[in-house]
Amino acid sequence: MDRLLDLSDQLAAAVQRAGQSVVAVHGRPRVPSTGIHWRPGLIVTANHTLQADEDLTVTSPTGESARVTVVGRDPGLDIAILRASESAVPVAEVGDSNAVRVGHMVLAVGAGPRASWGVISAIGAASSRRAESDVFSLDLRLYPGFSGGPLVDARGAVVGVNTSGASRHLHLAIPANAVNRVVDVVVRHGRVPHAYLGVSTQQIPLPEGVRAEGEAGRDRAVIVVEVQPGSPAAAGLLVGDVILSLDGVAITDPLDLRGALRPERIGQRVTASVLRAGRVLEVSLTVGERPDRAR
Amino acid sequence: MDLAALADRLRRITVEITHDGHGVGAGVVWAPELVVTNAHVIHGPRVLVRGADRHPREGLVVSADRAADLALVRVRGLDLLPAARGTDGGVAVGALIVALGHPLGVPGAVTRGIVHAVGAITPGGRAWIQADLKLAPGNSGGPLADAGGRVVGVNAMIVGGLALAIPVSEVRLFARSTGVPVP
Repeated sequence: MDRLLDLSDQLAAAVQRAGQSVVAVHGRPRVPSTGIHWRPGLIVTANHTLQADEDLTVTSPTGESARVTVVGRDPGLDIAILRASESAVPVAEVGDSNAVRVGHMVLAVGAGPRASWGVISAIGAASSRRAESDVFSLDLRLYPGFSGGPLVDARGAVVGVNTSGASRHLHLAIPANAVNRVVDVVVRHGRVPHAYLGVSTQQIPLPEGVRAEGEAGRDRAVIVVEVQPGSPAAAGLLVGDVILSLDGVAITDPLDLRGALRPERIGQRVTASVLRAGRVLEVSLTVGERPDRAR
Repeated sequence: MDLAALADRLRRITVEITHDGHGVGAGVVWAPELVVTNAHVIHGPRVLVRGADRHPREGLVVSADRAADLALVRVRGLDLLPAARGTDGGVAVGALIVALGHPLGVPGAVTRGIVHAVGAITPGGRAWIQADLKLAPGNSGGPLADAGGRVVGVNAMIVGGLALAIPVSEVRLFARSTGVPVP
């Protein structure tokens, strides 16, 4: 038995298998991005690659074009979900991304199919923007058009959705389980609702006394500068409150707060740790859905 | 075979090509005393060729096709066995591949990757083996091989981080077109 040849065959088979469920997404000028037939009729791609909501088409591996509509966008995860009316493209085999470990061998697949190969280099929040969901940092190259395509394990199962981020310098994948949660929300609501508390916040340095009690290295939090009337926040937060954490997750800037408010949390209770008049309080709030046209 | 054995095997069919101190390229032993390389590695009728033993030998350029970016060089006394060759059909997207060359002057360096895609970069362009693999100047003309050590392409250039290799079928056509009897 030849291990190298076996590995080579296994990698090629994984690309072939994942490639069957991959489409080219035409949502921006020039280089199309990649999409994955995630559930019957629902295609997942990277949100930043869709410049408009209309006149979108996808091309199947066999070259057929089809019109698609946007069902929902989740800019926090950089995921967009499209609906295709009928499709001969098989649904992807989505694996359990919780089983992925640092050092695991993975492939990125782009429409074509095209492929690149590497390992998971880190798992965790790559930036404060994604406080609620860990992301995979990849030691592999995401070529132009790879965003929205599947990150595939050595067996060919989809364990994530690749994105270079709007900056094009990042090499990240959103874990499949996090994508599943967004897709579940879409199946239930028919769209991606946006969770909100109804506060405007600004970053501030933490006062010395509080800093000593907090975790090491944490010296910032956010201060509430506006509470929208009738919003979830109005039930417990006041202008001037300093939000230290939400359900134990540190909030060091307004993006942390946005990242913590995932769509699937709408209707759930969260506990905010708040500094008010020199004392730390626990405030219980119910995450709401942001009304249309509200900011 | 492991990667080290594969690299050893490729070192035995890869040569280094230089001109009086001018740059460095690689070449593949295609037939006894015959080496193929990129035409852009060649800058005159004569080159200096070194095998793994580092012994310098004179190479005479038999043919150079600038459009195909391929050249055939005869090296008298080169005691290296010709490379085992693969076929274009054996190159699947995702398959493991290995390049050997002298990137930035490092002799006999191995890099590994996978086949990224096969075909033209732009519509109507020439067909390449596009590899997700690290190449650098000094890899030009060297072998791209499959996991079994069979040469499937000749490394030619880097575009947007992608390694581009001339498929072995095209190299075979070129070698035959030179009129030199080669298998």
